[in-house]
Amino acid sequence: MNKRRRRLGQAKPVVSAVAGTSMPAIETTDLTKTYGDATALADLSLSVPEGELFGLLGPNGSGKTTTIEILTGQREPTSGSARVLGSDPVADPLAVRESVGILPEREDPPSFLTPREYLQFVGDVRDIDDIDDHIDTWADRLGFRDTLDTLSTDLSEGERQRVMLAQTFVHEPDLVFIDEPLVNLDPIMQAEVKDHLCDYCDRGNTLFLSTHFLEVAEQLCTGVAIVRDGRLVAERDPRELGSDERLLDYFRAEVADGSAEGGTEPRSEIPAEPTEHDA
Amino acid sequence: MTGASTRGLLGRMIREEYRLHSELFGDRFAAFPLLVAAISGAGFWLLTLTDVGVGAVAVGVHGLVFFFGLQVGSIGLVGRDALRDVLGDVTLLVFSARTLPVTWRRLLAVFLLKDLLYYSVLFLGPLAAGYAVFAVTAGVPAGDVGLLYLTTAATFAYGAGTSLTAAGVATRSRIARLGLLVGAVAVTAATVAGQVDPVAVSPLAFYDSPSVATAAAGFGPVLALSVLGPLTFRPADGGTARSSPDRYSRVRAQLSDDTGVATRTMLEVARSSGSVWKVLFSMGVLFGVTALLVREVGRATALDPSPGIAFGTLLGLGAFTTYSWVTQFDDRREYLRYPLSMDAVFAGKRRAFLVLSVPAGYAYLALSLLWVPLTEVVLGAVVFPLVAVYVFGVTAYVTGLSPNELLFDTPLFAAFGAALALVSLPLVVTALTYTEAPTTSLAVALAVSVAGAVVGAALAGRAGPRWAATGR
Repeated sequence: MNKRRRRLGQAKPVVSAVAGTSMPAIETTDLTKTYGDATALADLSLSVPEGELFGLLGPNGSGKTTTIEILTGQREPTSGSARVLGSDPVADPLAVRESVGILPEREDPPSFLTPREYLQFVGDVRDIDDIDDHIDTWADRLGFRDTLDTLSTDLSEGERQRVMLAQTFVHEPDLVFIDEPLVNLDPIMQAEVKDHLCDYCDRGNTLFLSTHFLEVAEQLCTGVAIVRDGRLVAERDPRELGSDERLLDYFRAEVADGSAEGGTEPRSEIPAEPTEHDA
Repeated sequence: MTGASTRGLLGRMIREEYRLHSELFGDRFAAFPLLVAAISGAGFWLLTLTDVGVGAVAVGVHGLVFFFGLQVGSIGLVGRDALRDVLGDVTLLVFSARTLPVTWRRLLAVFLLKDLLYYSVLFLGPLAAGYAVFAVTAGVPAGDVGLLYLTTAATFAYGAGTSLTAAGVATRSRIARLGLLVGAVAVTAATVAGQVDPVAVSPLAFYDSPSVATAAAGFGPVLALSVLGPLTFRPADGGTARSSPDRYSRVRAQLSDDTGVATRTMLEVARSSGSVWKVLFSMGVLFGVTALLVREVGRATALDPSPGIAFGTLLGLGAFTTYSWVTQFDDRREYLRYPLSMDAVFAGKRRAFLVLSVPAGYAYLALSLLWVPLTEVVLGAVVFPLVAVYVFGVTAYVTGLSPNELLFDTPLFAAFGAALALVSLPLVVTALTYTEAPTTSLAVALAVSVAGAVVGAALAGRAGPRWAATGR
């Protein structure tokens, strides 16, 4: 944790709240999404600079997944606008999806393909040259070379998550959206994935992370936003927290404040770190 | 396990089945029996407008119910993969032998009984009610309607027991599977040669001529298969990780598939339960039922139906099951995460659909050469792929990548059924009237098939944009 924060402190002193030094990787203006009478997002305005490891935090049903789905062109907003790497995800969703990687929460590779075949499929869809070389590289990096030719339905949950991480990064995108990246991974692999995510952003790429696990956000993120009931309630740079402060306390305060106003009731237990058993 | 707890298990399985359907299809599922009654009533009424007699209708009902039993009997076992993909990690009570103190055999026996009771009430009851209106107006005694309900229920059990036994034998060994295949071919050949009459050893025999002898001959096999199924079935050992050599590149090259969607689909169908044989099996059952219907209609009426048009039409309609196989593992939202248009997705699905269904249909048409004239077979070979293209287009447009939602989504089911009837009813009529007006029937059959294919292709082209926009 400290290693990451030190490195980020040296390399990327940029947070979304003070963004503006370069073109944002992601920018939303008054993004709103309603489903009938229910409001999933309300006037969400965000700016995520390039190179940021950005965390979107919030309780269940706060609009995190909807935000990612709109930014990747899977859903259209009811109103408002968004730009992702300079493209409009509403007008040209395929352009956005070509240039980003997406890892939804609890997504498995296709049951009856092997990891190798699934990544070959992703290579076709994304028009990747030399896909077999990329597959070998990512299988080594994420430790699933031994299971490259095992049907995905027979892999453990952690092994499937590694394959999904590989499909997210295999085309070397400039921007990645990840919903809960560490779920189902053992502690050693969690540490390796965290390092990978940090290295990825250190190379100037942008990562948009949605997570419940505040300790992960505290360790990794260079900027976080907290949403509640679809509204942005706070932005924060975790590195600016005092030595006796925890993001969890900050989060609780924001959510509790919302519940006092009739918003979402804060969860009494917010897990600090995902484990193999958190599926 | 005590008798009381067996009854408890049966009750829980019935509740589980209902909740499974409710989860899949929502509250609309409750209206499904009414729709079955309405559709069957309307269908029987339409038949009164033709020369088709009550006897032929009864034969057709038994044939369709047998086919339905085959499908239902296999869905909990062969279709487990699909359930898992639709609902996540589903664990049905029938698979609970590893965690409950109850044997596989007892679980499967209760599972079969559950299917019989559940579908007798929700499907066969409404079907019999629809038939009753038609039959009473045709002068059939009410007792015969009750008899039809009894024998269709037994026929349903016959189909479900056949599925379970076949699946059970297939789990034993490769030799057992080969034996199963040889046995199926032998029975088919003997039937074609006229040496075996499958009707004589089915509940239909008792319906045709109730007696102690026909009861024994008709219900005996049902009972035997209901016992054999649970005795022979062995669950697959899930403890071994199955590896597979890389087939993706080879299949992709063979299909000239640039997006990989068709390749992926073919591999999924081939590796899931039942492999590509499930395509052959489901179309084979329909082929057999059609052959039986054509024969019985010829016997029971003055009509001499065209087997070519009949085979072409029903095999084309039967390609719907292939559509469900090629989409059973799909989640539309997954494709929305790739830089891939839904047009490309449906194009890939269409290619896999045609690669699987057309050779299977042609194989059965070739088999029919044993007793059907070549010109008729050629006619069937023209009609079949055209109808299949129509079925693909309608199914893709109406249901997207979730065709199984049709089963109990009442409004969707009605719309889909009406769309299929638009093409299939004229074709069935031309098949029935072929000998009386061959030129006209032929012209109408070809015109309807070609028009259907054109409409199907157009609908398939519009399915991509439609389903890309849906839910955004």
